[in-house]
Amino acid sequence: MKFREYVAYRLVLAIFVIIGVVTLVFFVSRVIPSDPAALYVGAHPTPEAIEKAREQLHLNDPLIKQYAYYLWSLLHGDLGISIRTHNPVVQDLKSAFTATFELILVAEFIAILIGIPLGVYSAVKKDSWLDNLSRLFAISGVSLPAFWFGIVLQLIFFKHLQLLPLAGRVDTVVLLQHPLKVITGFYLIDSLITGNIPVFIDALKHIILPAITLAMYPIGLITRQVRSMMIEVLQENYIRTAWAYGIPPRRIYFKYALKNAIAPALITIGLSFAYTLVGAFLVELIFNWPGLGRYAAYSILSMDYPAVLGVTIVAATAYVFINLIVDIVQVYLDPRIKL
Amino acid sequence: MKKEFAILVVAVIIFGVIASGCIGGETSTTQTQKPATSSAQSTSETTNVVIYGYGSEMITLDPSTEFSNSIVVLANVYECLVKYTPEGLKPWLATSWESNENGTVWTFHLRKGVKFHTGNEMTAEDVKWSIERTIRMGLGPAFIWDPVKKIEIVDEYTIKFYLKYPANLPLIASSAYGAYIMDSKYLSKLGDDNAIADWLNKGHDAGTGPYMIDKYDPKTEVILKKFPEYWGGWSDDQFDVAIIKIVPDASLREQMVVSGEIQITRDLPLDDIPKLKENPNVVVDQTPSYQELYAFFNTKKPPLDNKLVRQALSYAVPYQDIVQYVLHGYGEVAKGPIPKGMFGYFEDLPTYHYDLNKAKELLAKAGYPNGGFKLVLTYTQGDEAEAKVAEIIKAEWKKLGIEVEIRPMNWEQQWALAKSDPAKAQDIFMMYWWPTYPTPYDFLFNMFHCEEEINFNLCYYCNSEFDKLIDEAVTLEGTQPEKAAELYKKAEKILIEDAPAIFLYYPDDVYVYHKSIKGFKDNPGYPQVVFFYELHKA
Repeated sequence: MKFREYVAYRLVLAIFVIIGVVTLVFFVSRVIPSDPAALYVGAHPTPEAIEKAREQLHLNDPLIKQYAYYLWSLLHGDLGISIRTHNPVVQDLKSAFTATFELILVAEFIAILIGIPLGVYSAVKKDSWLDNLSRLFAISGVSLPAFWFGIVLQLIFFKHLQLLPLAGRVDTVVLLQHPLKVITGFYLIDSLITGNIPVFIDALKHIILPAITLAMYPIGLITRQVRSMMIEVLQENYIRTAWAYGIPPRRIYFKYALKNAIAPALITIGLSFAYTLVGAFLVELIFNWPGLGRYAAYSILSMDYPAVLGVTIVAATAYVFINLIVDIVQVYLDPRIKL
Repeated sequence: MKKEFAILVVAVIIFGVIASGCIGGETSTTQTQKPATSSAQSTSETTNVVIYGYGSEMITLDPSTEFSNSIVVLANVYECLVKYTPEGLKPWLATSWESNENGTVWTFHLRKGVKFHTGNEMTAEDVKWSIERTIRMGLGPAFIWDPVKKIEIVDEYTIKFYLKYPANLPLIASSAYGAYIMDSKYLSKLGDDNAIADWLNKGHDAGTGPYMIDKYDPKTEVILKKFPEYWGGWSDDQFDVAIIKIVPDASLREQMVVSGEIQITRDLPLDDIPKLKENPNVVVDQTPSYQELYAFFNTKKPPLDNKLVRQALSYAVPYQDIVQYVLHGYGEVAKGPIPKGMFGYFEDLPTYHYDLNKAKELLAKAGYPNGGFKLVLTYTQGDEAEAKVAEIIKAEWKKLGIEVEIRPMNWEQQWALAKSDPAKAQDIFMMYWWPTYPTPYDFLFNMFHCEEEINFNLCYYCNSEFDKLIDEAVTLEGTQPEKAAELYKKAEKILIEDAPAIFLYYPDDVYVYHKSIKGFKDNPGYPQVVFFYELHKA
């Protein structure tokens, strides 16, 4: 199998996985006894109003027909109407997606910035108190529940120190004073491009706590991965040779050793994107972050299944493609992997 | 390998630069002032913002069909002919109204010089068009206009309603749902009813209210700006900008109002209210709401088809304890089916109280001296209060030898089960009711009037004598309120005697607001609405 064939094969597979997910979630969400039409109409509906809504939402059609209709709309990029907000689901998802993506990117950035150096130092000072501390930190990051950690951060930085805002993406009043022109939908980038410093600072303040909370898990992953790879590499012959030549330690660690240790860590970083997508669900609820996670949680709670399906499709697609990219990069980087 | 590593490093650096904002150092930090539009904000005026932290998302913005949370927006942007207050009906867009002898023809005199946000003047034509559109679309709250046969424009500022049967039209015209007046000249140009709905749902408005919609994001916030030409006029200490911020998490809202990040909120955890009362930064406002919690007995299924058993169980509820333990005292024990403060509520109704001996006596009389039966109780999942009430009832009835199986269900499922075959449905159904507009008929008709097809009569109660009384009472509400009250009272007595439901409690509306605002007054006729126009800077 050639490299190109492999990519094509994996792409086709990915599409099947997504169709499978859509099918599964579609039918599971329909067998749960509930009346979406009643939800659509709102409080104290009359039977006539419910019947009208039923027609509007195609709920009187047989399930298979509804499913076919859904797939057909999906092909046209239409995810239906949210039962709860009466908006097109695509429109709801768009704004939610950029919010989540911005949060994940900042969290990943923090994770890389802390995880890699921590892993390197842990490996270099193996079994020292510093190593033990960093391992404790990494294990906590992986195993402490995000919601608990997030609340603790809120307590410290909002309630006691009054340094950072409690929740949300940007302060409404700041946004009112300095209207932000939306270009990419990423507040940090948009405010920078347009030179809107007050909004930038405010958005930055708002993203710090949720991003740190979200970063804890990937920090743990990256630190552990980098550490174990570094320890392995540092025992290699060529490193011993480098020591013998009297090359400065810093150069040995960061130039010779890290270069070879980083490749598997890249894979971990890629995969941790997928993990943070999952983590975002809880973190967004705690920090009232208007992203996919919060949207999904409230959609699930109110049985709004067009919205649930929409989120599922977006999340599954992201997950599948992150995995795909990671695999392809791995094949590309490591000639030892046989296709 | 080198290349990938370089790419990674570069990516990290670029992202680092973006996230840490070191680019921003070069740009000038002078404020670019936007050219002043009619209501543009200058930086000095930014304290002129009031924020209401609200727990649910907005649904639609079409005044003809909206039957849910968005009235928190609509009631600030649109106005009705009449305003309901607990003290009585007050002029709003109509300054006065009168009817013929039997209440079948109503004439409203409109306020002159009222401007829509579009700049057009409000006339009788707009009133006729708005109400006719609501009736025509027939969605959501449209049923409130059921009595209306014909609307006639007398002149620019006078409008006449001809009714199919007598009704209290001014009260209907004050409804928080489906009674808002829109700009017909502007909207009718947009196309058919659906085209208008689409335009409105995008966050536009065509109302006369003190505020205009400036930005509408149904999931995060709605920003309202003051309408400078509002007929009521403005004073300096009112708010130029009002924001409804959607924060679903109650403990977050609590933190925000204490810190002054938002100025007013509601539905906070009741356990925290005593602590908030101690807090000098906030004011706790507590007023009776027009809500009531009911537990409907399945009157079509043994043993609850036996009136004596229903009465016995009504005596076996520790009402006072429930209000203390579940509501922490923020509410009152219900006296019959109508909330306190509303027309149709009677202080002296003979109601049930906690008396286990009496309950045992009645059970023995009914042939169940030691209980010995099992009941299924459903309530709406996620409702803490309902869950606690269910637990208390279960514990009490155990003393009578009755086993209660509690089933939390999501609302649609709970309702679907109740609407299936009563012989197979739940034995007890817990639910809140609040009125579309504050008339006792809304309660008594929806929940206790005979129904061909089950909708909200979830005790499946059917009593023609009761039906006759309330059907007559509602026609007299507008013209002979004393007579109407008398009939309602008779009907409610029948209801209490037959005990198709347990009338549990009236929860209070508890608002918490920051000390920086004043003038807030809860109006139970417009549930969850904060009228921003009434607020002032403290």
